[in-house]
Amino acid sequence: MAHDNLTYDDLLRIVELIKSSEQFSEFRLKIGEIEVELRRRQVADGSRIVAPTAAAEALLSAPPAAAPEASDLIPAHDPTAPVATTWASEAIVIRAPMVGTFYRAPDPGAPPFVKIGQVVEPDTIVCIIEVMKLMNSIRAGERGVVAQTLVDDGSMVETGAPLIVLDAAPASS
Amino acid sequence: MTTARRPLRRILVANRGEIAVRIIRASRELGIEAIQAYSEADRDSLAVHLADGSICIGPPPSSQSYLKGDLMIDAARAAKADAIHPGYGFLSENSAFAQACEDANIAFIGPPARAIALMGDKTTARRMAAKAGVPITPGSLGTVSDAKTAREAAALIGYPVLLKATAGGGGRGMRVVRNGEELPARFADAAREAQGAFGDGGLYVEKFLARVRHVEIQVLCDGRTILHLGERDCSVQRRNQKLVEESPSPALDDAVRARMCDAAVRVCREVDYRSAGTMEFILDPASGAFYFMEMNTRVQVEHPVTEAVTGVDIVKAQIRVAQGELLPFTQDSVRLNGHAIECRINAEDPARDFTPSPGQVRGLRLPGGPGIRIDSHLFEGYRIPPYYDSLIAKLIAWGRDRDEAIARMRRALSEMRIEGVHTTLPFHTRLLDDARFRAGDIHTRFVEDELMEVA
Repeated sequence: MAHDNLTYDDLLRIVELIKSSEQFSEFRLKIGEIEVELRRRQVADGSRIVAPTAAAEALLSAPPAAAPEASDLIPAHDPTAPVATTWASEAIVIRAPMVGTFYRAPDPGAPPFVKIGQVVEPDTIVCIIEVMKLMNSIRAGERGVVAQTLVDDGSMVETGAPLIVLDAAPASS
Repeated sequence: MTTARRPLRRILVANRGEIAVRIIRASRELGIEAIQAYSEADRDSLAVHLADGSICIGPPPSSQSYLKGDLMIDAARAAKADAIHPGYGFLSENSAFAQACEDANIAFIGPPARAIALMGDKTTARRMAAKAGVPITPGSLGTVSDAKTAREAAALIGYPVLLKATAGGGGRGMRVVRNGEELPARFADAAREAQGAFGDGGLYVEKFLARVRHVEIQVLCDGRTILHLGERDCSVQRRNQKLVEESPSPALDDAVRARMCDAAVRVCREVDYRSAGTMEFILDPASGAFYFMEMNTRVQVEHPVTEAVTGVDIVKAQIRVAQGELLPFTQDSVRLNGHAIECRINAEDPARDFTPSPGQVRGLRLPGGPGIRIDSHLFEGYRIPPYYDSLIAKLIAWGRDRDEAIARMRRALSEMRIEGVHTTLPFHTRLLDDARFRAGDIHTRFVEDELMEVA
C-alpha cells in the first residue's frame, strides 16, 4: 500500500500495533497536512492504554487539528526525586561529584564494590558513575564502615546526591 | 554484485544527536521521508522536531533503546519504513542487526551484513587486510579471551601495547598498557567499556606505536565500482577520541597517498564492500610507512571534511547505493579541492580534564560566513542529556588552502558561543593558535603529552 494515502484501516493497524506492543509508548507521523500522534498513557492501576489523540481523530475529519502538547506522558524517572532516608549527623556521606548513572558493581552481575559492614579506606572505589559514556570510579574519600547504600543500581543521580553512608570506622591498628 | 533498483520511500533514523539531523537532511533532499526513533531522553530533540514522524523506542539508557535491534525493526514496521539508517555507533556496525534488517525486507543503509561481520570485527579485519597485501600493526591474530592470554600476547609483541575492543570504534574500549603488572586492571576497564558501548566485551592486543599520525581513507562502493575520496588526518586526539580532523593530511605526500588509497580499495575488493566506509591507518610520517588499523563500516563523525573538499554528499550517496543506484561519478572525477578542517565541539570542560558537562543550553550563537558549515542538534533551551556521548556540534571550515581554512576556523570559533554548559571551544582556540599545529607538526599523543602539559 502506498504511504501517501494512509487509510483508516492503516491507522487502525498502527493503533493495534502500538496497543499490543509493550515497547512503544509514542508514535507520531506527519503525511502532508495530516499529523497522527498516538501516546500510551500510564493509568492509575499501572496498566497502559492507548488513546488516539485529537490529531489522530482529525485524520478522519479534515482539517487537521494541532497536535496536543506533551503533558500526560509516561512518567520519565525523576532524577531529582528526594531519597527518603536518614542518617546520623556524625555519619560520613559519600555524594555524587557529578550527574550520571550510578553503578554499584564493575560489571552487570558482578559483586558490588562494597558491602554493608565493610571497612573502606579513602581510596577504596565504592561505585561508578557513568556520564556521557565515561565511567568514573568514585572513591570513599574517607575511612569508614559502609552503613547503607541510598541509590538503586542503574539509576540517575544529580551532582551532590547522597550515594553511600559510612559510619566511623574503628581506629586502624 | 548489483542490487535491483528499489526506490526508498521512508527511512527510520535509528540514531540520535547531530547525525540523526544529518540523515534527516539527506533524506529530505532526496524526497524521502524520515521517521525518527528516539528514547524518552530525546523526546524534545531537534531530530524529533525536524523528522516527518517519530516513534519512542524506550527508556534513556541506550542498552534499552538505541542498541535494541529487534525494537528498531519493530519500530520500522510500525512506521511503515522501508529502510533503516543506523548512523554511527549504536547498531551501525552490528552485523546481526544488518542481517535482521535484510531478513525483514528492510533496507539497511550501510554495507551487507557479511562485510560488516568481516570488517566490523577488528581481528577478522586485520586478517582480511593482510590477505589483501596491506601491512598491519604487530598484534594478536584474534581476540584474547582473558587478561592472562592478553598478557601472553603482549609479552610476545613487546610493551607498550594497546588493548582494543574487537567490536570497537570511536576509541571506546581502548587502553594503552605499559607493562604486565597494569595489564589486568586495564583489561577489565577496557572490557567493561566495550561491553557497555557495543554489547561485546571482546578485546585484542596490538603494538602501541608512538609519534605516529592517524590517517584514514574514505571509500564509497556501489557494488560495481570502488572509489576513494582521499584521506582525513585525525591525529588531534585525546585518549583515542578524535577532536579535530582535516583533509588533505599535512603529512602525506602524493606517493604515500596513492599507496594508501590503493590499499584501502584492495581491502574493499577483498570483502565485496558496498556503501560508505573508512579505512584507518597509522602513518609514521618520518618513513612514510603505514599500517592498517581497522575499518569503520559506517558513516564517520568527520565525514563533512571529505564532503567539503570533494563536493560529494556521503550520506546521500549511502542512501542512493541502498536504493540500488550506481555512483554517478568515477575515480578520475574525484578531486580534493582546497582544505577543510573539522572541530568537534563537545560538552566537556577542557579546564577540568575534559569532564563531561551535560545540562541546559541557555544561550547559543552559531558562526557563519564564507566557508563555514555547522552540523549540530543544539537549540536554545535544549537539555543535553547525560546518557549519551558529549558531541554537541561539528564546526567545519573550508579554505582554498590550509592557512585559509585555519584562519576561517579561528574566526568561526571566536564567533561561536554556547552558554549553560562547558564546551571544548576554548581547547580548539588554543589548538588553532599553537605553532606546532599550524605547522602540521603533531602526532596522536600531541594533545595529552605536549599541548595540555603546560596549562
